[in-house]
Amino acid sequence: MTTIESINNWFIENFGAITMEQVESWFVYNPDEKLLFNTGLFLGLFLVFYFVYGFLRKTFYLRLTYVILFSLFFYYKSSGIYFLLLLLSSVVDYGLSQIIYKESRDGVKKLYLVISVILNLALLGYFKYMNFLIVTFNDMFNGNFALHNVFLPVGISFYTFQSMSYIIEIYREEIKPTKNYIEYLFFVSFFPQLVAGPIVRAKDFLPQIYQKLNLTKQDVNNALFLIIGGLIKKTVISNYISVNFVDRVFDTPLSYTSFENLMASYGYAIQIYCDFSGYSDMAIGIALLLGFKLPENFRTPYKSTSITDFWRRWHISLSTWLKDFLYISIGGNRSGSFAGYLFPSLFFFGLLLWGISNYTTSIIPLIVAVSSILIFCLSFLLSSKRKQTLVTNFNLFTTMLLGGLWHGAGAQFIVWGALHGLALAVHKIFMEFFPSQKDKKTNFLWRFFSILITFHFVVFCWIFFRARDFETALQVINTIGQLTFEPELWKTIVLGYKNVFGLMLFGYVWHFLPESFTNGMKSVFDKTPLLIKAIILGFVYWIVYATAVAGSQPFIYFQF
Amino acid sequence: MNTKSYFFQSFAIVALALVAFIGFKQILPDKIFSESKLDSKNILIDSLLLESVAEDSLALDEDSVAKSERLLNKQKIVYDETGGIEYPAETFENYKGYQYLIHFYERLYQLEKNPQNKVRIAYYGDSMTDGDLIVQDVRMKYQERFGGNGVGFVSITSESAASRGSVKAQYSKNWKTQSYLNVKKPISPFGVNGHVFFANNGGNTTWIQFEAGLNKFSTSLDNPTLYYGRSSRTGNVNFIIGKDTIKKTLSPNSLVNTLKVSSGSLKSFKANFIHADSIPIYGFNFDNGSGVHVDNFSQRGNSGLPISMFNADVMQAFNNSLKYDLVILHYGTNVLNYGTKNYSWYEKGMTKTVNKIKESFPGVSILIVSTADKSTKYDMEMKTDSAVVPLMKAQKHYALETQSGFVNLYTLMGGDGSMIKWVDESPAKANKDYTHFNQRGAKAIGNLLYEQLSKGYDEYKILREKRDAGVSKRKAVRKAKADSVSVTNDSL
Repeated sequence: MTTIESINNWFIENFGAITMEQVESWFVYNPDEKLLFNTGLFLGLFLVFYFVYGFLRKTFYLRLTYVILFSLFFYYKSSGIYFLLLLLSSVVDYGLSQIIYKESRDGVKKLYLVISVILNLALLGYFKYMNFLIVTFNDMFNGNFALHNVFLPVGISFYTFQSMSYIIEIYREEIKPTKNYIEYLFFVSFFPQLVAGPIVRAKDFLPQIYQKLNLTKQDVNNALFLIIGGLIKKTVISNYISVNFVDRVFDTPLSYTSFENLMASYGYAIQIYCDFSGYSDMAIGIALLLGFKLPENFRTPYKSTSITDFWRRWHISLSTWLKDFLYISIGGNRSGSFAGYLFPSLFFFGLLLWGISNYTTSIIPLIVAVSSILIFCLSFLLSSKRKQTLVTNFNLFTTMLLGGLWHGAGAQFIVWGALHGLALAVHKIFMEFFPSQKDKKTNFLWRFFSILITFHFVVFCWIFFRARDFETALQVINTIGQLTFEPELWKTIVLGYKNVFGLMLFGYVWHFLPESFTNGMKSVFDKTPLLIKAIILGFVYWIVYATAVAGSQPFIYFQF
Repeated sequence: MNTKSYFFQSFAIVALALVAFIGFKQILPDKIFSESKLDSKNILIDSLLLESVAEDSLALDEDSVAKSERLLNKQKIVYDETGGIEYPAETFENYKGYQYLIHFYERLYQLEKNPQNKVRIAYYGDSMTDGDLIVQDVRMKYQERFGGNGVGFVSITSESAASRGSVKAQYSKNWKTQSYLNVKKPISPFGVNGHVFFANNGGNTTWIQFEAGLNKFSTSLDNPTLYYGRSSRTGNVNFIIGKDTIKKTLSPNSLVNTLKVSSGSLKSFKANFIHADSIPIYGFNFDNGSGVHVDNFSQRGNSGLPISMFNADVMQAFNNSLKYDLVILHYGTNVLNYGTKNYSWYEKGMTKTVNKIKESFPGVSILIVSTADKSTKYDMEMKTDSAVVPLMKAQKHYALETQSGFVNLYTLMGGDGSMIKWVDESPAKANKDYTHFNQRGAKAIGNLLYEQLSKGYDEYKILREKRDAGVSKRKAVRKAKADSVSVTNDSL
């Protein structure tokens, strides 16, 4: 008896007494506590789930249904009743894809494709862009439409894109549809990538469903390595520096010095990378533990030597999705289309209007507008293949504009996309004039400066991405512009925020480590015995926990 | 290949890791990134506050604080009549102290009767009111109802000048600034804003340039007037208005001197100070001469204690020209972070501050604004900081003791846990430091503040009418019995 009692006491001491309410809270949707991979609750639920999964590995439909149920529960924990929306949209998309597959007449096929694309975009549009459209309309025409109280279901941007890829690939006859709805629902609702990607393509994922479930030792090593890295990136680096530094500066940039604004911009660059890629890595790792290989989503993007290179390394699953389904659909580098010309023209027209309307207060907006139009035009006028470059650049610009908008409903995301679109066009024409030699190894200095310039351009664009609105972004940029060399003052600030800056440095050093070094670390990890791996993982759990309970740094006003 | 073992091995690793985690939790410290103490030399915090905290060794234990608090809460606060006006009695819990704002309310009443009159408010605050947040909203509300144009008194340099939208100030880098925050013996006495500035031009001109902002009732710089102090030597100032340059001599003969830049309203102007490095410069006043004017005297890091170092003679000289009717003291944010929940030392210090204000601006009404809600992370959850309520109560207590009005910002904004809501709300009303409001939140706070003051004023008008109609019956007059409570406080 005493032993049971002592175990019970030990349990209460370490985990607290478990009440019925607590147990209920584990299974009921709570908008304030989403079920993220880096929470203790997820770990607990996953352990139970995974244990049973191991026994089901040889079954097929039982296993699929089991994972679907867990996925739906997972989604319910994040978005409440909106898991029904996921179910509804999957039923409609599955039905349409069946029709498209069975239909032989091209025209009818296309009609159903258009219907399904419109339905998916309308769903996304209502939940994500409704209020943005209303606000924009009200601003432009002095309208007075009331805002809708719309809840944005978690991950809707991801799973609508994923189901669209399925339908378009069927239409393009790149894949065969799944045998039944269960298999399709498994693909759409697969919980590791459900809420934050990577956006898995039907043609990569579906074949894996039918393969015999297999998990090699190497898979487990890879998975654990990804999960460990992801946990540290997401919960330690990203969360800590955002709450304790970056958010504050971006809230009221004018209350902080130039140096703090600059560091917050660098801080945000590493924060968003760690947040996004960390979560992706965890998703890929967890999927791998279940025996599924998801595509790589980030390849140390800040090591890019050009903006084109950056988009091959940043959020790869999105950029390839946009390339295959948006860029190519509107003509790619072959032909122009109405949509391809419409969005850039609208954007530049709007930019020009903005410049003209602000002309009385400042000439700068007009200069910005005219010069960006000029740069964009020069990017194809200077080219030797003028016609082809023109359509490519217009289509690319459209892709970047809409890609920007995909990240969030707001003018600052459009501006962010436009900046990247413009930079891609400029890089293209630059490459035409200074082609890189394929066989020659690039000179170190050249490489260094390419990385430096690309990185700083990306950081500059992030300011628009992060700022609450356009005005705040300009405040940050303006304040940074007033930076003067005052090492004493910088030292004071760095010491004041030493935890934050230490983590930022750690994040950047880790990011810029040579690949051979990370591979070396990986192979050492691979060779450690099972128990040591568990201890390492346990230690990382502890780091996550200890960071989560760390008090936030009190605000500091420096004296200068 | 045998796949069985790897599923269960991988499960074993994840499960064993959990065991390892529990082990680590037992042997390793509770948290990383502990909040280290910072070198206070480089941080903006007032020196008086640091001294008071250090002296706070004879603190009351918490039990006795709680005991005296229970006593207080039961007290009924009954007012003496002032000029035939007597507000109804109230409890300590809901203490507002309108009775002590009668001077201010009577002045508002006179202004309503005669729009040529003036009412002036000095709003002292900490970083909460930086960049004219909150204050500009109070100002706009008053000017909307009672008339008046202009942003009031503006200092020369300020850490928050860049973020202030109600008036734009740019200045050369060679101003020498002394602040009551961290200077005890200034070269010349501090001005009404708690600062003194010197045009320290080593060859280069020292200048300041003002441009009107976009706020309602402050779209022009009305009757800009320079305030400067006493010095043995004269100096020169050139005012540049558009293409004109007006050359003036500064004659620093009195404690406080004024020099009008121009009569009427300007959009912008620049002032170049020449050979004036010995003359204490205080700032510029912008008002149209009638209606309500609200001066924002914000200072980051301030606890409110430094006001007790004001030079009363200089303040009286300021008051002769500016004529304050209400002084608002909005502090607290900077005294929350010292691990103490006993604020008797702060009460004592702020009582000195209020007494200094009474001495400096005779007859003025005083309003204490309590700390707002502020959240701190406890374990893994954000909660109202445990020091907020004790501080708010201490502020209420010294407000009552010093016969000042009181605004309980903590309960006004929603009480326990409200800061978390203000931060998480969409659109957000407060910043992620869970301490400061943003523009939107500051506007809400300004309105809440104005509404409470306004309610008191409306009541005042009714009471006044009753008095004039001779309806009001004389009641037995008793003073609030709070004194006896404070005696027990002091004796401990």
